[in-house]
Amino acid sequence: MAKINPDFKDELKKYGAFDFNACYNCGHCTAVCSLSTPEDSFPREMVRLSVLGLDENIQTSLKPWLCYYCGECSETCPRQAFPGELMMTLRRWLTAKYDWTGLSGLLYKSLSLSILFFVLLIAGVYYFAVSEQFNVEKIMHIGHYFEMFAIIGVFSIIILPNIIRMWYFTIVKSGYKIKFNTYIKKFGELIVHMFTQKRALGCDDNQIRWFEHLILVIGYLALLFTTVVLDWFGTDNDFIIVLGYVESALIFIVTFIFIFERSKKTTELSSHSHPSDWFFVIWLFLMGLSAFFVRIFIDTGLIHQNLWMYLFHLTVLVQWALIIVPFGKWTHFLYRSFAMYFDALKKTK
Amino acid sequence: MQYQTDNNSYDALVIGAGIAGGEAALNLANLGYKVLLIDKDLTIGGKMIMLSKVFPTLDCSACITTPKVSEISRHPNIKILTSTQASNITQKSDGTFMAEITTKPRYVEIEDCTGCQLCEEACPVIVKDQYQYDLVGRKAAYIPFSIASPRAAAIDIENCTLCGACERACPTNCIDFTQTDKKITIKCNTVILATGFQLFDPTLIPRYGFGRFKNVITSMQMERQLAPTRPFNTVLRPSDGKLPDNIAYVLCTGSRDKTLGNPICSQVCCMYSTKQAQLLMGALPMADITLYYLHIRAFGKGFNEFYAQAQSMGVEFVKGKVAKITEKENGNLILRYEDINGNVVKETEHDMVVLSVGILPNVGIQELFSGINLELDEFNYVKQTDVLASPAATSINGVFVAGTASAPMDIPDSILSAGAASAEAANYIRKMSEINVSV
Repeated sequence: MAKINPDFKDELKKYGAFDFNACYNCGHCTAVCSLSTPEDSFPREMVRLSVLGLDENIQTSLKPWLCYYCGECSETCPRQAFPGELMMTLRRWLTAKYDWTGLSGLLYKSLSLSILFFVLLIAGVYYFAVSEQFNVEKIMHIGHYFEMFAIIGVFSIIILPNIIRMWYFTIVKSGYKIKFNTYIKKFGELIVHMFTQKRALGCDDNQIRWFEHLILVIGYLALLFTTVVLDWFGTDNDFIIVLGYVESALIFIVTFIFIFERSKKTTELSSHSHPSDWFFVIWLFLMGLSAFFVRIFIDTGLIHQNLWMYLFHLTVLVQWALIIVPFGKWTHFLYRSFAMYFDALKKTK
Repeated sequence: MQYQTDNNSYDALVIGAGIAGGEAALNLANLGYKVLLIDKDLTIGGKMIMLSKVFPTLDCSACITTPKVSEISRHPNIKILTSTQASNITQKSDGTFMAEITTKPRYVEIEDCTGCQLCEEACPVIVKDQYQYDLVGRKAAYIPFSIASPRAAAIDIENCTLCGACERACPTNCIDFTQTDKKITIKCNTVILATGFQLFDPTLIPRYGFGRFKNVITSMQMERQLAPTRPFNTVLRPSDGKLPDNIAYVLCTGSRDKTLGNPICSQVCCMYSTKQAQLLMGALPMADITLYYLHIRAFGKGFNEFYAQAQSMGVEFVKGKVAKITEKENGNLILRYEDINGNVVKETEHDMVVLSVGILPNVGIQELFSGINLELDEFNYVKQTDVLASPAATSINGVFVAGTASAPMDIPDSILSAGAASAEAANYIRKMSEINVSV
């Protein structure tokens, strides 16, 4: 028996949804959507479930992740109920639902709480710098270790359990029994979608945006590898140094374009921004830019007199690694790929 | 009753000679009032005279309109001016109105024209026939359509090459290229606005491909194909003249859509589409007819039974708004929609698609007046200032609204509305004459 949550509509509003109650259930959004297929038809079904307050059905569904926000549904919705924005909101809501700590939901719903966390981490970094008496070598050394431990810690404590929860909701709870062999056989789907986001090409006239996004993902992952494993800030290897410059430049250039589009609202996708969307692009931009300048300061020998540059970078990094990655928009990178993987698993039946 | 002898003085000015304006004019004329009935078109009868049958009774539309039209044209109390528009309507302090009436040249003396069509035969220019909604061609010298009133020729000066062939062919010498705009100023006690509606232009929805895909037509084009005065004498699809055997209707084309600026229901599309589906079942007994709808609105008397009748005749009703139409090489069309009951997006093939276009308000009605403000409602129809107590009253005392100028409505409602407008107008004229007599 389906359970109706009468407060679901209000709950979703806090995650950024528009007046999806305006929907008169015509299905135009689903029919105009270039990613919608007879096997996976959306977004109308999701709008309907949201209107009816059937949140459990949404929690067990992968469809919000199959939407790449081409925006056509919102542009052409006869009731201007913004189904594309609702799908975006449902992804935020799902991110919160998957998160076992519950912090995700709190941060999505409260901007002031998010800002408080950001400020606390600034204070933390400053306190750390003071306690180390602004010793450049030591701070940079510990900073490097922080990156490694943050990656391992965040992944094992937050992200891995959350993905297991996602798997539980969407596969186990929705009644699918999938053979172990299938998990192995379809594993390629996960890798392909994680590194290409090729499904986003299904949106009409989306090649440029897909390419920008691809560059950003590759640049980000490569910079992560270059700083953490190859120790970009500590190395003398010219190749690694140049590589890091290129990667960080790619990140701040592409994110600058994204920030520009969001502020100018050039497309349907960029015209509605939740604070979490702003945090994501701005912090990614700041990270790329500050990393770039830290390395310039190192190469020009300025870093010893200008430790503030590294501290700024470290602050952005700490906020990124402890707020945005585990509890913010960053996780869409994994959830989207896993959704494609799980969807492929479901279709083997 | 005091009959006015002044040629340019009338009891009522009725703007628009469609079914609402015609009915209002006739009511007033039968009460003994002198009426000036004007229409910007070459003929009176409006849109109803173009239709095939009316719902839900399936009576022949032309057979209802034509007697009415001929009654209007022969009525001693009604003066008709076609190709004519009013402007600068002002209200005097005593409540009466002055209006400038401009008649565009027809280049034919209506009284002398016998409707022999020899000019049509002689004319070398062929253009799209707007009265057949571009399905076929017509000449630049032409009679609008066979049941037009007045049934007189007109010269389409925009497309005319001034070759003079029609002039030479005309046996009564009624063609006169020296005609110019005729302007008169009239005095009247009341004004009835029966300016009607315009049809939604489906090129505004590029996803439906109207104008690009030949076999996507409007419901008005289908209406013409089904009418007694139809161009092909059967129903054909435009690309290759094949008899269609799988026709789709896309309802709510241009209605109930905020992105197109028309959020309201057009009131007639569900029923006229259902009617056309039934007529098609008769015209093309082997054809499959599918209606893609959002909600079937069968609210009037006999409407729901009419809808049920279509279902029992085998008309397919599918719930889901069509979002995209694509054309195949053979001219067939693929419709993409979500089958709401099945929760799945589907694509189906049809050999002809009819867009059930909605009703939009006519523009420029406020500009007819000068010095007095005619208020429009939020959807740009003439505002009914007292819908319940005085449904024809507008923001100007003495100006009344009839038919679809006030809102989308079907034919019976238009006629009812015209009845209300003429009653209220008669009331107003009475009051005016009483005041003027006592003064």
